[in-house]
Amino acid sequence: MATEVRLPRLGQGMESGTIVKWLKAEGDMVEKGEPLYELDTDKVTQEVEAEASGVLLKIAVAEGEVAVGRTIGFIGAEGEVVEVAAPPAPEPAAAEAPAAAPAAEAAPTVVSSTTNGRIKASPLARRIARERGVDLASVRGTGPDGRIVAEDVERAEVGAAPAPVAAAPVPSPAGEVERRPLSNVRRTIARRLTEAWTVPAFQLTVDIDMSRADELVHKQRELNPGVRITVTDLLTKVCATALMRHRDMNVRFGEDELFVYPTADVGIAVAAPQGLVVPVVRSAERLTLAEIAGVRGDLVSRAREAKLRTEDLDGGTFTISNLGMFGVDQFVAVLNPPQASILAVGRTREQVVPQDGELVVLPLMTATLTCDHRAVDGATGAEFLGTIRAFLEDPGLAL
Amino acid sequence: MPELSYREAVRDALVQAMRQDEDVFVMGEDIAEMGGSMGVTHGMLEEFGPARVRNTPISEMALAGAAIGAALQGMRPVAEIMYEDFMTLAAEQVVNQAAKHRYMSGGQLTVPVVFRTQGGAGWSPGAQHAQQLEAWFVHVPGLKVVFASTPEDVRGLLWSSIYDDNPVVFFEHRTLYGIKGDVPEKIEPIPIGKARVHRAGEDVTVIATGRLVHESLTAAAEAEKEGISVEVVDPRTLQPLDEQTLVDSVKKTNRAVVAHEAVTRMGFGAEVAAVLQYQAFDWLDAPVERVGARFAPLPFAPVMESYVVPHADDVLAAIRRTVARGD
Amino acid sequence: MAKVEATKSALAQGDLRDMLREMLLIRRFEEKVEERFRAGELPGFLHVAIGEEACAVGVCRALEDGDVIASTHRAHGHTLAKGTHPNELMAELYGKQEGCSHGYGGSMHLYDIERGNMGANAVIGGGLPQITGAALAFQMRGEPRVAVAFFGDGATNIGTFHEALNLAQLWKVPAVFVLEDNKWAESTPEWQHSPIRDMSERAKAFGMKSMKADGQDVEAVYKTARKALEHARSGQGPVFLHLDTCRFSGHYIGDPQVYRPKEEPRELRETRDPITHLRERLGLTDAEFEELDAEVTEIVEASVDFAKNGTDPAPEDAMKNVYA
Repeated sequence: MATEVRLPRLGQGMESGTIVKWLKAEGDMVEKGEPLYELDTDKVTQEVEAEASGVLLKIAVAEGEVAVGRTIGFIGAEGEVVEVAAPPAPEPAAAEAPAAAPAAEAAPTVVSSTTNGRIKASPLARRIARERGVDLASVRGTGPDGRIVAEDVERAEVGAAPAPVAAAPVPSPAGEVERRPLSNVRRTIARRLTEAWTVPAFQLTVDIDMSRADELVHKQRELNPGVRITVTDLLTKVCATALMRHRDMNVRFGEDELFVYPTADVGIAVAAPQGLVVPVVRSAERLTLAEIAGVRGDLVSRAREAKLRTEDLDGGTFTISNLGMFGVDQFVAVLNPPQASILAVGRTREQVVPQDGELVVLPLMTATLTCDHRAVDGATGAEFLGTIRAFLEDPGLAL
Repeated sequence: MPELSYREAVRDALVQAMRQDEDVFVMGEDIAEMGGSMGVTHGMLEEFGPARVRNTPISEMALAGAAIGAALQGMRPVAEIMYEDFMTLAAEQVVNQAAKHRYMSGGQLTVPVVFRTQGGAGWSPGAQHAQQLEAWFVHVPGLKVVFASTPEDVRGLLWSSIYDDNPVVFFEHRTLYGIKGDVPEKIEPIPIGKARVHRAGEDVTVIATGRLVHESLTAAAEAEKEGISVEVVDPRTLQPLDEQTLVDSVKKTNRAVVAHEAVTRMGFGAEVAAVLQYQAFDWLDAPVERVGARFAPLPFAPVMESYVVPHADDVLAAIRRTVARGD
Repeated sequence: MAKVEATKSALAQGDLRDMLREMLLIRRFEEKVEERFRAGELPGFLHVAIGEEACAVGVCRALEDGDVIASTHRAHGHTLAKGTHPNELMAELYGKQEGCSHGYGGSMHLYDIERGNMGANAVIGGGLPQITGAALAFQMRGEPRVAVAFFGDGATNIGTFHEALNLAQLWKVPAVFVLEDNKWAESTPEWQHSPIRDMSERAKAFGMKSMKADGQDVEAVYKTARKALEHARSGQGPVFLHLDTCRFSGHYIGDPQVYRPKEEPRELRETRDPITHLRERLGLTDAEFEELDAEVTEIVEASVDFAKNGTDPAPEDAMKNVYA
C-alpha cells in the first residue's frame, strides 16, 4: 500500500509552502529520513525528509505553492500503481481579501450652529425635548457655545393648558357605548390642531373696558340698518388695523424664513354643525365696519349651511374666536396653523374696578392672545394686544 | 470611635491578620528593623519575628515571585513593593504569572497574594519615585486593584484583600499616610468592588480616587458657596469597578467630573468616562470632565511639580465647566 | 508511579526497566506530537523534549510525595514524568476540556496541581521565583517538602534566575534548581549567550551548592537528584543541579534548525541517546525492546484517540476562571 506524501505543517500559522525542487526522481529508492524535496516557507528554504522508505512512485506536484496537507507524491513498492486524482494546479494561496481601505473618519464637524441644520443640545436636553414634544429648533441654548441644556428646554416648553371644556353630562343610554365614526371635518380639525399643539406657544391676557366699544357698535347699527353689526365685526376691524400697525404679528413661521403678509386676512371661528370652521374676511383692514359685517354675515350663514367653499377658508393671517355668546368669561384658543397668533374673547361683563381711588363698574371683556413663539416674541405680542385694547377702549385711535 | 492615621490603619490590618492567621506574612525591602520606608510595618518585627516580617534583597521579581509561589502553596503573603514605580520591575511576575495561573490551569489554582505599594507626587520625589500606574493593572484580567483614600477604607479594604483568593494590587498614596480619621473599634471588612459616597449633592458628581478624593471634597465645599451642589464618590476598588453606584449618581446629577492624580491621557478616568457616557448617555447635560496630571513625567522643581499634578482648584474648574453657561 | 524500591545508591533492575519504559513513553509521545502537529491537528506552539527524557524521568523519580515542580515551555516530558496521564496531556494539546488544564493552557501552560505540577511557563525563568516561594512556604510551615524548578541554559541569563536563586540561597529554602543544559537557547548556542563555559559556576555567584550529572544517563540523574533533594530537604539549603543533556530536535516543531550543523542532531542521536544507553545497560533483546515499544506506542495512540474524541470547550467558557 503506497504512502501518500503530504505537505507537512512546519510551523505555527503555516498554511502553505512552495516546492522548489525535488531531490529524488520518480522511480528512485528513498530511505525514511532522507531529504526528499526542497520547500520554501515564509521564513526559510529547507529540505523536507521522507517519512517512509520505498520507491518514489509518483511526484504529484513538481513545484509551486501547495497548501498544507495536500498530497504531493507517493512512496511505495516497486511496480505499484497509484491513482493520482488529476492533480489540480497548485492552488494559489487563498487570496487575502484586500484590506479594505479604512474609511477615512470624517473629521467631526466642529462648527455646529442652527444655520447648518445641526442643533447643539446635550443628550439630556434632547431626551426631554423628545419626551415632551418640544421642537429643539425653537429653543434658545444658554450652554457653552450656544448648546441647549435641559433647563433651556424646560423653560421653552410652555405647557398650554387646554381650554377646560365642561361637557354637560350626557345620560348614557342604558348598556351600550355609542361609537361615532369620525367625519372628515373632525379628522382635519384633529390633525391640524395636533400639529398646532406642538408649536411652542405663549398666551397674553388683558381685560378690556368695552364702554366705548359697545357705544360704537350701537351707533354703527343705527347708521347701517341693512346689516347687523356685532362686536365680532368691530374686533375684526380693530385687529386688522392693529395687524397693519404691527406687521411683525401678521406673519407665518416657515422652515427657513418668516412670511410677512401685505394684508390682514382675518379668520372668524364659527361653530358650524359639522364642527369648527374658520372662514376668512380678506383684507379686513380696508373694509368698513359695515362691509365687514356683510362679509361675515354671509360667511357665517353659509358655514351653518355647510356651504363654504375652499376659497372661503384658505389663507388667513389671524383668527378671532369669540365664545362670549356662550357665556364664557375667558379662554385660551389653540393656534390655527400656520397662523402666528389667535385672539380668544369672552363675554363682556360688568366688573367692579378701582379707578382713581374709587370703585367703578365697568363692562369688561377678557381677551387672550395666543402666539407662536417661533415667530413672535412676548414683547411683540404684548404690544399688539395693547394696541387692540387701546383701539377698543378709544376707537378713534384706530383712524 | 478610635482615630487612626492612614499609615496606622494599614498596619492595623496587617497586624490583626497576622495575629489570627499563621499563613499571613509580610515581605519587602527594609520592612523589618526599619519598619518600612513609609513606616508602615513599624514595630511588627518585634511582635512577629523575622520569619514573618521578612526583609528581602532589592529584588522585585524574586520578591513578587516568591510571594506568588508561597500563595500557590496556600499561604497569604503580603508583598510590599516600596515604590509604585518599582511595580514595573515586579510586573512580569504580577502580570504574566499571578494574574494568569488560575485561568491557565483551568481553575486548579487560587493565588491569594497581595502586592502593597505606594506612589504619588508631593515634596519633589522626582519622576521615578512618584508615578500613579493603576491604569496598567486594571487593564489585566485576573488582577483586582484597590485604592483606598481614608484610614477606615484602607484598613477595611486591606483586610478584605488579604482574605480575597485573587491577586490584589493594593495602592496607597504617600501623602495620605499622615491623615487621621475615625475607624470602627473592630475591623469591619469592606467589600471589594463597592464605591463610597463621601458627600451627597444634586448638580454634579465628582468621581475621585486617592489624594484627589480629598482635593475634590475641598473643591466641593468651595462650589457650594457658588450655589453648585456637588456629590463626591470614591470608587475605592478600581477593578472590579462599582459601575452601578457611579452611574446612579450621574443619572441623579446629570453632570460628571472624574479626578485622579495619574496622568489624564489614557488613564483610569478614561474608562470611567466611557462607562458613564455609555450607560448614562441620555442623562448627561454636559460632557464628562476629566481631571488628572498633565502629560509629562513628574518634574523635580516644586513649581513645576505643582503645575503638572492636579489640585482642588482643577477639580473646581472642572465642576464649574459642567454647569457653565454662555461662551 | 511506583515508588523506587532500591536504596539511594543503587537501583534494581525493575526500577531501571520502569525508567526505560517511561523514557520510551515520553519519546514516542513526543514523536507522535510532532507527527500530529505536522498533520495540522494541533494549534499553538509546541516544543518537544526529544533527547532530554532522562532528565525528566531521573529527577521526577527521585521526588517524594508532596514535592512540587515547575517546568518550562518544553514541558511534556516533565509533565508525564510527574504523573500526568498521557490522555490528559494529549487532550490538553488538542485544546479539549479533558486536558489537564481543561483547554485553557495548552502545551506551555500544563498544570496538574494534584500531582504537584505547579505549571509549565512560557516566560523564560518565569517559574523560578515562585519555586523559591513554594520552598519558602514549606520552610515556614515546617513541611519536609522540596520545590524543584526546571530551566534551560538560556534561562541562566535572565533576571528572575539570578533573583530567585539569590533569594533561595539567602533564606536557605528547600529548593532544587535543575538546569537542563542542552547548549542551546532557541537558536543561540551557549558560547554565544553565556560568558562562562561551565554552567555549574553560576551557582557560585550565590554561594549555592552545586551538583552535576550526565543528563543522558538516567541512573546518574536519579542518584544525583536524590542527593540534591536530601540536601535541600534536610534544611541545608537549595541545590543547583546541572544536567548535561542535548536536544535532538529543533527549538519548536517545524524549526528547520538553520543555525545548527546538519550532522549534529544525527550524531547526537547516535551517540547520546539516553534510551539507547539504558537499553544497552539493561541488555535487553530486540524482542524485549520491541515489546516495550509496542506497549508504550499503544498508550500514545490511545491518547490521540482519547483527545480527538474529547469535548471542545464552549466558546463562552473563555470567561470562566478569570477570578476565584
